[in-house]
Amino acid sequence: MKLRIHRTVAAALVLLLIETAVLPWLVPAAWSDRILPHFPFLVTLFVALTAGRHIAFFFGLGFGLLQDVLFYGHLIGAYAFGMALTGYLAGLAAYRLRPVPGLYVSMTALGGFVLDMIVYAIYRLFQVTTVSPFFAIEWQVLPTTVVQAALAAMLYFPFRRLLIRTVPASASQGSDERSASG
Amino acid sequence: MIGLVLFIALIGFTMGRTRLTWAEKFLHDTFGAVQSVLYQPVGAVAQFVRDMGRLSEVYRENEVLRQTVARYAQDQMRYNFIELENERLKRALEFTERQKQLYRYRYLIAQVIGYSSDPYNRSFRIDLGARDGVREKMAVQTVDGLVGIVSRVSEFTSTVMPLTELDPNSPTAIAVSATALGKESKTFGVVDAYDRETGLFRMSRIDPDDPLEEGDIIITSGLGALFPRGIVIGTVVKKQVGDFGLTLTADIRPASAFDHLTEVFVVVVPDMDLAETEAP
Repeated sequence: MKLRIHRTVAAALVLLLIETAVLPWLVPAAWSDRILPHFPFLVTLFVALTAGRHIAFFFGLGFGLLQDVLFYGHLIGAYAFGMALTGYLAGLAAYRLRPVPGLYVSMTALGGFVLDMIVYAIYRLFQVTTVSPFFAIEWQVLPTTVVQAALAAMLYFPFRRLLIRTVPASASQGSDERSASG
Repeated sequence: MIGLVLFIALIGFTMGRTRLTWAEKFLHDTFGAVQSVLYQPVGAVAQFVRDMGRLSEVYRENEVLRQTVARYAQDQMRYNFIELENERLKRALEFTERQKQLYRYRYLIAQVIGYSSDPYNRSFRIDLGARDGVREKMAVQTVDGLVGIVSRVSEFTSTVMPLTELDPNSPTAIAVSATALGKESKTFGVVDAYDRETGLFRMSRIDPDDPLEEGDIIITSGLGALFPRGIVIGTVVKKQVGDFGLTLTADIRPASAFDHLTEVFVVVVPDMDLAETEAP
């Protein structure tokens, strides 16, 4: 099992575009400040589960930085830091575990919570926001986490089909024959 | 550990900046091009579906609008007379060219092309940039009222910080001087905060003798000439004594929505330096 990294980057870019340009229309107006899923983050955790923590770290760093720069508001770095760290930690936690759907969904729920809390902490630290942590959790973190976990459940199988190159168990030792045919 | 230090340095460094480097501009513009292809069609479909759902409401809205248009026609005549007279008086009083140009705003129509999904920075992007005459700190409004301030500008696109990011404690704080419709010469206050928990703006530094009342419509005052005057901000819902007891504060319900926007106007205040050099 091997991750197709080019396809993964392309998928994350497309999903980032969908997140910023299509998703705002699908979320009802009353919830638009509360449900803010991050698609590149979902891809980062998928990378963490299938390709290990180091690749996930750089993946999260890159796409977090992209998110920060594209909507450069108060400061750059909150998402780059958060996504790199959560990607690395998820890779560390899932080390040697089989990437099954249940693990991915629960990892996204946990990781999404951690990411949103890191971002909140950074903004709070630099006094960009002054809302209380409990309000932030109730207002934005919990709804987003729930939706993100649901999206992860929906996206797991498409991800696996499109982004993973499966190596049949019998051919795993004969890699030279695969490269000859490919 | 080194990473953490680097990040804190990066965050600190990027906090007070307004200019963008060419790399950031390039990213903004390339993404902006694709986003604009996606956001508008999807928005059109979404709005169509929603409109179908509230046809009866549209019918009633149409009635109200027709009455409003009738009233506008009357006001238009009055306005023409007043404007003529105003011009004549300005000439009689020998206003300078700068003073005459002061309130002649230009409105650039911009399309929204994407929303940030960062909960503490709900910036959105518009499809006009430096090339179209957009500059930092310009006001952005919808037909309902003020929505935000242009925060970053690249060549073909710009980023708008919505008014919901107003926070007096933030290091990048911006305040909007405001007054009440119909009480322009008597009321003054500063809209400088948005309360996420209640969804209301706070207008502070109001004089204790101010005639401001609940239900008044708050508009920008244009004092300082950086910000255009006469843009609706919202309606007063509550007035109370401020933190130190010396001034009053008022809670204001925003006039405009801040999400699901498609078309916004960037208000261009006439360039003061330009007007002065052009004047004889």
